[in-house]
Amino acid sequence: MAEGVSPIPLDGLTGPQLEDLGRRLGLGLSAEEMARARDHFARRGHPPTDIELQSIAQAWSEHCCYKSSKALLREFVVGIPAPQVLITGEDAGVVAFDRDHAYVVKMESHNHPSAIEPYGGASTGVGGILRDIACMGAQPIALVDPLFFAPLDLEAPPGVHHPRYILGGVVAGIRDYGNRMGIPTVAGQVTFHPGYLRNPLVNAGCVGIARRREIIHSRARRAGELLVLAGGRTGRDGIHGVTFASRDLAQMEEDRGAVQLGDPITQEPTLHALRECVQRGLLSGLKDLGGGGLSCVVGELALAGRLGARVELEKVPLKEEGMAPWEIWVSESQERFMLTVDPRKLEPVLEVFRAWDVEATVVGQIVPGRDLHITWHGEPIFDLDLEFLTGGPEYCRPWSPRRRENPPMALQEPRDYGRALRDLLASPDICSRETIVRVYDHEVRGATVIKPLPGPPGRTGHGDAAVLKPLDSTWRGLAVAVGGSPHLCEADPYRGARLAVDEVARNLASVGGTPHSLVDCLNLGNPERPEVLGDLREVCRGLGSMARELGLPYVGGNVSLYNESAGTAIPPTPSLLGVGIVPDIRRCVTSDLKQRANPLYLVGETRPRLGASAYARLQDRPGGEVDDPPGPLLKRTLGALLRAQRQGTVASCHDISEGGTACALAEMCIGGDLGATLHVPDTMRSDLWLFSESGSRWLVEAHRTRKSQFTRTMKEVPLTPVGTSGGRLLRIRRGTRTLASEKVEDLRGAWATALPQWTSGNGRKR
Amino acid sequence: MDLRKREKEMKRGDIRVAIVRMEGTNCEEEMHRAFQKSGARPEMVHLKELASGRKHLEDYQCLMFPGGFSAGDYVRSGAIFASRLKSTMGGDLTRYVERGYPVGGVCNGFQVLVELGLLPALQGTLAEAPEAALATNDSGRFECRPTYIRHASPCAFTHRIPRGQVRQMPVAHGEGKLSFPPERQPRILDQLEENGQIVFRYTDPRGHPAGYPWNPSGTPGGITGICNPQGNVFGMMPHPERVYDPWTHQDWTRVPRREGDGRAVFESVLTYIEKKF
Repeated sequence: MAEGVSPIPLDGLTGPQLEDLGRRLGLGLSAEEMARARDHFARRGHPPTDIELQSIAQAWSEHCCYKSSKALLREFVVGIPAPQVLITGEDAGVVAFDRDHAYVVKMESHNHPSAIEPYGGASTGVGGILRDIACMGAQPIALVDPLFFAPLDLEAPPGVHHPRYILGGVVAGIRDYGNRMGIPTVAGQVTFHPGYLRNPLVNAGCVGIARRREIIHSRARRAGELLVLAGGRTGRDGIHGVTFASRDLAQMEEDRGAVQLGDPITQEPTLHALRECVQRGLLSGLKDLGGGGLSCVVGELALAGRLGARVELEKVPLKEEGMAPWEIWVSESQERFMLTVDPRKLEPVLEVFRAWDVEATVVGQIVPGRDLHITWHGEPIFDLDLEFLTGGPEYCRPWSPRRRENPPMALQEPRDYGRALRDLLASPDICSRETIVRVYDHEVRGATVIKPLPGPPGRTGHGDAAVLKPLDSTWRGLAVAVGGSPHLCEADPYRGARLAVDEVARNLASVGGTPHSLVDCLNLGNPERPEVLGDLREVCRGLGSMARELGLPYVGGNVSLYNESAGTAIPPTPSLLGVGIVPDIRRCVTSDLKQRANPLYLVGETRPRLGASAYARLQDRPGGEVDDPPGPLLKRTLGALLRAQRQGTVASCHDISEGGTACALAEMCIGGDLGATLHVPDTMRSDLWLFSESGSRWLVEAHRTRKSQFTRTMKEVPLTPVGTSGGRLLRIRRGTRTLASEKVEDLRGAWATALPQWTSGNGRKR
Repeated sequence: MDLRKREKEMKRGDIRVAIVRMEGTNCEEEMHRAFQKSGARPEMVHLKELASGRKHLEDYQCLMFPGGFSAGDYVRSGAIFASRLKSTMGGDLTRYVERGYPVGGVCNGFQVLVELGLLPALQGTLAEAPEAALATNDSGRFECRPTYIRHASPCAFTHRIPRGQVRQMPVAHGEGKLSFPPERQPRILDQLEENGQIVFRYTDPRGHPAGYPWNPSGTPGGITGICNPQGNVFGMMPHPERVYDPWTHQDWTRVPRREGDGRAVFESVLTYIEKKF
């Protein structure tokens, strides 16, 4: 046996012994899975080496093979037919942009690492998602980052990072990686819920643009191609990252070694060199090294091409001496790519990398057959059938619907509407994100047409979606938005998931983007508990049904389970990234009010649905049911609104979500530095109308000179005139009664100062 | 190369601009695009290509240092880029500047020019040691936001902008506070003013001096763009290449513009080259 490699005899071991052995080696495999490996090696006739067993543990982890969620995704989420989808099922989804170009999109979670080491976890989350886009042959053009933390005034138990520390570290990590790479961070969300105390969530998404003919598949093409490892060196950082991400979080210190370290200034030139190789057609296949490191990338590249591979492991450039072969094989060191290269093109490839001072090394070769062989200084240490290795188990675990109390609505009408509005604007999930958004460079690359904070400089509000103009040659743009509310999903995972799709579609349409594709990150607790799996099932059913009704395909995604510790799981958190097509960016619309004396309209139907709404949480009383908007109506409304925008009749537009119509209008006033008058109709109690979070709605400011054209275009969908822009006050009236009259400046004050106070440790105490 | 042989104006399409980059430079594409749209011939040039002699300074009529995080900015912003440049080609750069060729830097590129000693160049073309620094913002953090800047004094890169005019350009940096040794700072600032070396100052939307957030870094007197005494080396913190066109302005859905506020920087330097060479 080669030095540093040991055989692990499994013969004769049974259930508990196997489980114990698996735990000692940090494999994260169950007794049944260990038994499956034992039987395989018994048939082979000699015991596995440590590197073989470690490799199996990577490939069979929840993170890599989705063993608990695959069946549900197949049943509900994947396969929504849409002609624009070019490639799914690889490192990122590829979708048609125009005749010659495609956009590439993906979102992933980096939750476990961020809980242990917020800065490192978040920054490598950004690094990883950029590699996923780059390895399809695309130029990354935008990053997004949905984040979920515990309330900042919650006390952290011993051994758990304080949420304020986690937020600070995560934001700094995203800032430093994204800014240094020169890719703008254009959208995101920050949502607070006590369920994230031990398990904060960091989801990172990316959109890229590519010429269709330069798209590269994550697979080898033919035997004889060389495996070239390019980018950063391999070290001990990030060992067992995937197996660690596939179980509950235990002790922090123990797990720190599983967190990878990022270095954007190694990745930046690596991406440049790759772009050059791609443009010159020098590569046959390309895949980034993420979870599972070499052990996953080599097998997946080979098997996807129906081929095998041979690796000379000692050729892998290392950061440190003395690493055991299995550590090299499973290390998740960052900034690495595996290229498959025709031997005749090797020299030009190496030349490109030399010019950028980036290491690129031949470490093996693609061979006929389906086997993966590894040698270590000439001695064989690994010999496995790839179909066995990557054919991980798939479970249909028992699930049960969670019984949810749904007490009737018990909200009290406020005596002081102005105060209720100010309190909502200052509440954690609604208040201004400016202090976070501004530390991200959101316009590097010079293509960010609609920015995250629209409005006049120094007086900006919140936007719904960002828009990029990726190419010089066309006015066509890409709208990018995120969405998903754990509050709604906690109360009703099925409806909450439907509303997440609704919200993303609304956000995209607000700026003038036709919803075009979705990517989903499903963050939940331990799927071995039937009620968690029941939630996952409801979430998948909701995401699938609404997207199907809209004809909107999922082109990629990721499932992050085991987000629980000490017996408490996070609320079910589907987080979505949506991409929309803007036919002409010159017709884009922002959410800031533009002009005085313009008519305001509410688009969509208002129902008194306040279950888990921001208003109900503020009162801490049951809000009743979560809304379940019909998809077909949303589809029709979207279509009409987009037509109105493209006719140039819409001055500003904002989607109605958290805090309802009142908060949406307040944000439009803040962003436009202009007042408005809002008339509450007689249809229901005023507060229910003002703060309802029923779906599929927008507030629109129409140009007063184009009013009749606007109403004509919208005549087939629910449309209510609700007021007028103008003045320095936001006035809310019902009939002749004034419910509230607030200075826009005061609303801005409440909204803008809440988060800075809260992050600095002042303000809010529950 | 002998300048005296040139008798006619240079044609726009013959002007070659070197966009100099190294690892971590990341605003080069939009810089390249801005020169291309202005009709010049920009070219990406890696620092290594100049240092190794594979490409030559004298083949270009303008050098531009774009923004980014050269070498990660782990030391001081621009310091590593500058020291690599200086050690390999300090002499060539001095001659290049003394021939009157324009050299510009934006954001990290401005930091590079200061670290190099090409700005503010109070004691000759290229100072031995840096005379100034772009220090950490008073806020202590990186910020990306739109700003207003007033054109205080023209140079090769700004002569097409009327003096006193206010323009909107975005910043994105954590280190943009122009600083000198404290005991000499007041005198140096006076000297810069007298020499006409202060090109841009931050203002509020109406053109008046103002504090944070209009001056996002706390830089003294709102100074955010300076040139050398000859006016052909210029650095600024805001990004003109990001507002070359109207539709990348912060408020374009509210305020119509015929062209982006940054475009004049590129037009200025290209007409300077056309006239001079």
